[in-house]
Amino acid sequence: MVSVARSRRHRDGATTGLFAIGALVAILVLLPIAITVFQALQGGTSAISDALRASSSRRLLLNTVLVPLVATPICAVIGVGGAWFVERTRLPARRLWALLLVAPLTVPLFVTSYAWATLGVSLQGFVGAAGIIAFSYYPIVFLLVAVSLRGLDPALEDSARSLGLNPRQVFFRVILPQLRPALLGGLLLVALDALVEFDAFVALRFQTFSLDIYAQYRLGFSTSGAAALSFFSIVLCVVFLFGEAWLRGDANYTRVSHGARRSAVRYELGKWTLPVVACLAGVVAIGVGIPVGMLIRWFTESSSAALSTASGNLQYLWPASRTTILLGLASALVALVMALPVAVLAVRYGGRFSKLVERSTYLSFALPDLVAAIALSYGAVHYARFLYGSFALIVFAEAILFIPFAVVAMRATLGQIEPALEDSARALGAAPLAAFRRVTLPLARPGAVAAIVLVFAFSLGDLATAQVLLPLNLYTLGSEFQANSGTVAFASAAPFAAVLIVLSMAAAWVLMSSFGTVRAFTDDERG
Amino acid sequence: MAELRCTAVAKSYGARAVLQEVDLVVPEGTLTAILGASGSGKTTLLRLIIGFIAPDRGTIAIDGSVVSAADGLHVAPDKRAVGYVAQEGALFPHLTVAENVAFGLPRGERRSGARTSEALELVGLGSDYAARRPQELSGGEQRRVGLARALAPKPRVVLLDEPFSGLDAHLRAETRAAVTAALAAEGATAVLVTHDQAEALSMGREVAVLRSGRLAQTATPTVLYRAPVDLDVARFVGDAVVVRGTARSGVVECALGRLSTASVDVAGTVEVMIRPEQIQLVPTTGAGDAVPADVIGHEYYGPDVVVQLRLRDDARVPVSARTFDVATPDAGAVVGVVVSGPVAVYPLQGSSSAA
Repeated sequence: MVSVARSRRHRDGATTGLFAIGALVAILVLLPIAITVFQALQGGTSAISDALRASSSRRLLLNTVLVPLVATPICAVIGVGGAWFVERTRLPARRLWALLLVAPLTVPLFVTSYAWATLGVSLQGFVGAAGIIAFSYYPIVFLLVAVSLRGLDPALEDSARSLGLNPRQVFFRVILPQLRPALLGGLLLVALDALVEFDAFVALRFQTFSLDIYAQYRLGFSTSGAAALSFFSIVLCVVFLFGEAWLRGDANYTRVSHGARRSAVRYELGKWTLPVVACLAGVVAIGVGIPVGMLIRWFTESSSAALSTASGNLQYLWPASRTTILLGLASALVALVMALPVAVLAVRYGGRFSKLVERSTYLSFALPDLVAAIALSYGAVHYARFLYGSFALIVFAEAILFIPFAVVAMRATLGQIEPALEDSARALGAAPLAAFRRVTLPLARPGAVAAIVLVFAFSLGDLATAQVLLPLNLYTLGSEFQANSGTVAFASAAPFAAVLIVLSMAAAWVLMSSFGTVRAFTDDERG
Repeated sequence: MAELRCTAVAKSYGARAVLQEVDLVVPEGTLTAILGASGSGKTTLLRLIIGFIAPDRGTIAIDGSVVSAADGLHVAPDKRAVGYVAQEGALFPHLTVAENVAFGLPRGERRSGARTSEALELVGLGSDYAARRPQELSGGEQRRVGLARALAPKPRVVLLDEPFSGLDAHLRAETRAAVTAALAAEGATAVLVTHDQAEALSMGREVAVLRSGRLAQTATPTVLYRAPVDLDVARFVGDAVVVRGTARSGVVECALGRLSTASVDVAGTVEVMIRPEQIQLVPTTGAGDAVPADVIGHEYYGPDVVVQLRLRDDARVPVSARTFDVATPDAGAVVGVVVSGPVAVYPLQGSSSAA
């Protein structure tokens, strides 16, 4: 009864304002899709039907769907397994493992894919594409499941044990079902990301819609053809969104009681310690070892001639780093500010509208980055000339491209904050915004840090947006890496990759230290 | 502090009526306990008074001015000056005890700290608590700080939502005493929501029994306990022995003898409600009007014992008596039963109640 009362609180002016802002955020996120559809229709329906009927389309569709289909189960196993070993066992050096397991997420995907591509021909094509997605994106599942694990009531496990279940049965019959919302949420993010990935697939020569769109754009500069092809990704994205909602069903495993106020016991690994450590080491070797190892090889095995051309590029290193960091931080802050009202709506105001707003932010994954960037640039040229070629436009683009990560992080952290705290603040005379500023926001800091770091890390790995929207006088680490990686002298790209990897490791470290302070939360996935 | 008045308040969620026709007056400076089982609508009533939700019908007025009305008038929770002590205290985990208590004070007073230490003192916590974190406090201390925080801005009404739930018996009594003293010292108008009968009866100037969304009875603890409005309320506020009887002019004949009742105008077949502690056990020898009974079992509580009895003349009626530990007869013993004090009677449905 209490929860009913809370979900239908009295709607005052502040609430109406919040709903309006939530709707505005959703509209901003959907803007590129609207422009793309408009562009596609401008080319006439024939361009669309040509694109849809092209003989290659069926193969592309298969390729595009196969990657998430193969990669998500791998992500589920590594993510859930890793989270369980780190959170619930006496694994040696747990904090280090947590950091290493998260690190692949922050390494730019295009750097990883170049590393894989140079490793061998067998890794090109489908194997490489699915592998790269699986071993770079499983940390999303790992993070969400780990937080969810901390929130479980240990008393449930104790009860299950007393009912005669052994630890393995407890895991499959009690723990895993409760992790379902977090697991499905993580897999959805992985699948959607895989759907529109293409920077990474270029090096691996793997054909998906995104790559075809890229080709249309590069070769023919056919924006309407590219836009038409995007219909596939929009439809697939919506299918995935509905699929996840359907699979999740009514799963809403909020704690029914406060439960035991203690943390769960950690299991001794005993003779399993060595095999487990070996498996985790293998995962980390693939996810972090390959890109870092290749980077070292590029440096050490390059000819002196290549190194001397590389040194000529070093003058660009500092400006590129500065632009990259500025762009990443600015995008992250904008994404955070936009994600806040969406997350508050989702956590505090259940209901169809909140759900709609939250789900529409996921549609930012419906378009490949390149198409979204083209759409925004088209929109700016035609309707907001002053934004065209500006730093603000690319910041906005990156922010809406990666806003789902900020929403997920803020939602998780806001869900931990008891509504009674905000209620008490209101009763003590704090107006809605003051209560939010004085109570909610300070308590939500770990989530805000996580949101900023995630968006920052993903902006490091985003080449396409920079290609279209970066102001002409600026260059980023990614754009320099790309410009130099095409040349025979791979070493000249290496310094840029090195700085990118250093930045991404720093991001992973900040992410994990804020993550360490995340308490168990009671209300992770409401609806 | 000020008077709180709820008039004909109703609230539904969809088709489910959570509260209906609730009339409640809490006089200035007094505490009214709202007693109800879970799901009776207690928390909804509390949230209506604070203003987190709005009533469908009826009005809520504090100090004579309406804060909620069905016509859309709705004063925001932060403008009501209603103190609220949430279940388990709901202390802000990122603030110290002093910062928690000072939270609702105007900026200037927040800095001076005078009212903060005054409020802490009020709930019996010394200044050495000021710098502590909520996580370092015991459950009872957390509730006290929660109350100090609610009292600090001098609210017009204080609402306490199950303030002692989850505390062990000893801590509960200690915290209850501290809360009662603090509320009295501030002259607070207070509403306490609870499902614990003893808590409601011992703390409330008046107790309002909430039953499936309606107030069944609002009365002083004594009246509520001795003369409950019906058998349901009687059983809800305490243990009851119920036997069939015939009433006329303030006297009722039943299996437990000729008993007196305050309801002089009830006549005919009635149900008689007797509290177990009204039933006294005497030796069978020499007691004139004692009803003979066999002792068939015990429930031992320490200071007192509930003795289960079977009447010699009417074995079907379950009767239990509350006695002191030292005076407990063994099982199998034969005792005499005497009822002291007036009993409550309720006309049996279908029989006439007019004298």
